[in-house]
Amino acid sequence: MRGEKDGSDGGMKPRCRETLERAYLFLDGEGLTHEERVEIRVHLEACRPCYERYGLEEEITKLVARLRGGQTCPQGLRDRIEALLHR
Amino acid sequence: MAEARPATLNDEDVERFQRDALPLLDSLYGAALRMTRNPADAEDLVQETMLRAYRSFDRFEPGTNLKAWLFRILTNAYINAYRKKQREPQKVSQDQIEDFDLYQELKDHDPDLARTPENIVLDSLVDSDILEAIEDLPEQFRLAVVLSDIEGFSYAEMAEIMDVPMGTVMSRLHRGRRALQKRLWDLARERGIVKSAGKK
Repeated sequence: MRGEKDGSDGGMKPRCRETLERAYLFLDGEGLTHEERVEIRVHLEACRPCYERYGLEEEITKLVARLRGGQTCPQGLRDRIEALLHR
Repeated sequence: MAEARPATLNDEDVERFQRDALPLLDSLYGAALRMTRNPADAEDLVQETMLRAYRSFDRFEPGTNLKAWLFRILTNAYINAYRKKQREPQKVSQDQIEDFDLYQELKDHDPDLARTPENIVLDSLVDSDILEAIEDLPEQFRLAVVLSDIEGFSYAEMAEIMDVPMGTVMSRLHRGRRALQKRLWDLARERGIVKSAGKK
C-alpha cells in the first residue's frame, strides 16, 4: 500500500510509510507487538488517507472471505472417497 | 474398488481419519477448484489427496492441525500433477502489478468514491466476479490469496503448506492481493461499472 505524498520529494510521510508497510500484518493479525498495533491504530484514526487506504484493503479482503465455504464437494466424489476407505 | 487399509493404521486410526478428515472435503474441493479451475481436475486432485493422506496418516501427529496437513498434501499433489499441463493466464502481468494502486484509481475516477463506506465499485462486484478475478491470477499469487483470504490460514501455516519461508509467503500474498485489485479494477471497467474515461 502507498501513503499520501508529502509534496517535497514525491515520497510519503515516514509515519504513513511505516503504517502502510505494516498494514497487512495489522489486517492479518500477524507478527506485531501490542504496542505496534496501538501505534498503527492511533495513526489510522488521525490520518485520513491512511485510514481510507486501510479501509479499502479491509473491504477487499472481506469480499474475498465471502467465498469461504461456498463450495460443496460433489456427492459422487464423496461416495468414491468413502468407498476407498471402506474395507 | 476399495483401498486396502495401510498396514500402519489400526481401527482407531481409520475411524479417526473418517471422523476428522471427511468433514474437510468441502473445503478441499473448493480449494482444488480454485487451483485447477476445472471441476473434473478438482475431483481427481481431491481424490488423490485423500488417498495419499490415508496412506500416510500414521505420519500425522494427532493434536496438530489436520486441515493444514491435508492442504499441504493437496498443494503438493497439485504442483506435481496438474501445474505442468496448465497454461498460465496472461491477464495480469507482473510489471503491471507493482505499479497498480487501486486507491489512486478510485480517487481519480471519483474523488469522493474512495471514502464512501459503501463503495459503489466494490459493491457492484458479485461473488462470481471475485472468483473470476482470483482464477485469473498467476498461480503462486492465486495459491497465497486462496489459502489466506478464503481458507483463513495463518502465515506460518501457509509456509508449511507451500513449503516456502514465511517471507516468501508474505511477499506472494501481498503481491497477490495487489494483483487481485488490479484484476477487479479491470473487470469493473470491462463490465462498465466504471468508465474508462478519467484514465490517462
